[in-house]
Amino acid sequence: MVALTEMTNWAVDLIDVRKTYAKNIYALRGVNIQVGRGEIFGLLGPNGAGKTTLVKIMMTVVRPTRALGTILGRPLGHRGKLARTGYLPENHRFPGYLTGLQLLDYYAALAKVPSATRRRNARRLLDQLGLSQWGDVRIDKYSKGMMQRLGIAQALMNDPELIVLDEPTDGLDPVGRRDVRQLLVDLRREGKTVFLNSHLLSELEMVCDRVAILVNGLVARQGTLSELTEHTVEYRITFSGDAQPLKNKLAGLHAAVDGDMVILSGHDAAKVNAVIDLLRGQGILIESVQPHRFSLEDILVEAMAATVPQHQSRDRQGADYPNPERKRRVRW
Amino acid sequence: MQFWALIVDSFRESRDRKIFWVMLGLSVLVAAAMFCFSFEQGKVNVLFGMWVIETDYFTGITGIKTDVIAALVVDGIMDTALGGMGVLLSIIATASFFPTFLDRGAIDVVLCKPMPRWKLFLGRYVGGMVFIGVQATIFVVLTFLVVGLRWGVWLPGYLLAIPLVVLLFSYLYCISALVAVVTRSTIAAVLLTMLAWMAFTGIQAVDDLFPVMFPGWQENKLMYEGVRTARWIVPKTQDITYLAKKWSRAANASVLMNADNDDEREMIEHASKIERERLAISPLAIIGSSLLFEAVIVLFAMWRFARTDY
Repeated sequence: MVALTEMTNWAVDLIDVRKTYAKNIYALRGVNIQVGRGEIFGLLGPNGAGKTTLVKIMMTVVRPTRALGTILGRPLGHRGKLARTGYLPENHRFPGYLTGLQLLDYYAALAKVPSATRRRNARRLLDQLGLSQWGDVRIDKYSKGMMQRLGIAQALMNDPELIVLDEPTDGLDPVGRRDVRQLLVDLRREGKTVFLNSHLLSELEMVCDRVAILVNGLVARQGTLSELTEHTVEYRITFSGDAQPLKNKLAGLHAAVDGDMVILSGHDAAKVNAVIDLLRGQGILIESVQPHRFSLEDILVEAMAATVPQHQSRDRQGADYPNPERKRRVRW
Repeated sequence: MQFWALIVDSFRESRDRKIFWVMLGLSVLVAAAMFCFSFEQGKVNVLFGMWVIETDYFTGITGIKTDVIAALVVDGIMDTALGGMGVLLSIIATASFFPTFLDRGAIDVVLCKPMPRWKLFLGRYVGGMVFIGVQATIFVVLTFLVVGLRWGVWLPGYLLAIPLVVLLFSYLYCISALVAVVTRSTIAAVLLTMLAWMAFTGIQAVDDLFPVMFPGWQENKLMYEGVRTARWIVPKTQDITYLAKKWSRAANASVLMNADNDDEREMIEHASKIERERLAISPLAIIGSSLLFEAVIVLFAMWRFARTDY
């Protein structure tokens, strides 16, 4: 049975994860997320969407009100599997009295990494993250960026199968960010799964295979970047001339005039040609036709706009589900 | 491996604090000060004969005996280290152990390790006691050596003060840990632990002194039995001090002291009687009942720690 569950392709399979804080504050309202093994998965959402709560639940820092699903094939909250997981929390605070090497050794010892492996991994990771000269220096002498890199190193000390990083590029300069991106790609190449929580959408766009957008404690969108963007393409046709007389006809084709540009939503090439024909029929000169692929930011904004505001959803939630905590408690 | 890592980390943290070195400095200072004194018939030599103080203070009943002086000094050390300054410094020194451990951003990294929370709590708890254990060992061993080497009096039982200091400290540290888990505040941990310490001492003082001071005290059954019961429930911090004195053979030294008149003699004999009565209580009962209290508090703190979202 255990072997069967371990064989699942999902590194993370979260089903109906709920978290209700005191006074009926619904942080998570039934989150379902699947992360495949060996992929980089991005979790994004506005402030207060519940991203960090979800990550903390995955890492057993916060207890869910209700949660099903598995992490690395074992039920959520299984402590044994934490030995195969690495975690970098947001706004971490490491003890300043330790040196870089001592810190890595300490956290790896807590993760049950044998002593010899700890020594070897610590040197290797410090070297990999550009901190090789700083191993014997007390952490309170580190800059914020160095601290962040050290945090990533500690998350990798136990050679984890799943790495959960909460805002990993926070405090890093552009070069540092690029290095971290490269590190994530290298980790994927090694077959590791990376679960990334970041508000830097461009960062996610560059490295993630799949993303989920969390809004008001619910997954608003989930899928590969191309899946999320395929239905949200628009065409921008720039022209010279007066297109105002065609306004009504263009509206019939779901296109709108915006200055010297016609914006056509959707990805239907036939409609693009119809719009071009219409414009040219009026003697308007077409200057360019550009397909515009929505960025993650556009998708996020759209998802936020499409989601019911939290105070409304809370009322609705409250009516359906007065107190989820009473419905089922998860014992860890 | 995990438990050891927690203890080592706690020790590293304590070593980083100024109070660790202040306590260490005080230990060395006390030992050095004791080393500067020696005793001869009717004389006290200070700084290797630089000053000689002639006194008959110790000669009244027994004539001067260095072992009596040693016993009196150790008696004073016990009162100070176990009953006063030592406990106060220990409470202050360790009060921030749990709050810093539970700091947002610091606790997350620890909680995500494959280690049950009760074990994490216990590791940290023992780490705090290791801090006091190291301090107590240094202090007791230094003073033990000075008394032995300089004064020629060897009190092997005095070394038992090391575990007793740690034990006494642990009775208060459990309160500190519980307050820290609930409030995450160092100040609250210090204040409430000191309050608890005062309450424990107060209950024992009332139980010991009120029957002597107020002859009708025992007739007020409700109050009398209430205090007696409370005394058995709470950690017996005072009794541990007496136990340490007994085991170090420093107890009852006061009876050997000089008495200039009948009133003083009566006072000393009365004090000695109270001490004898206290020491008649079984060590197992003193330590065991206090440990039971500590166990309940620690279990509650562990439960609270395990159930809290960070």
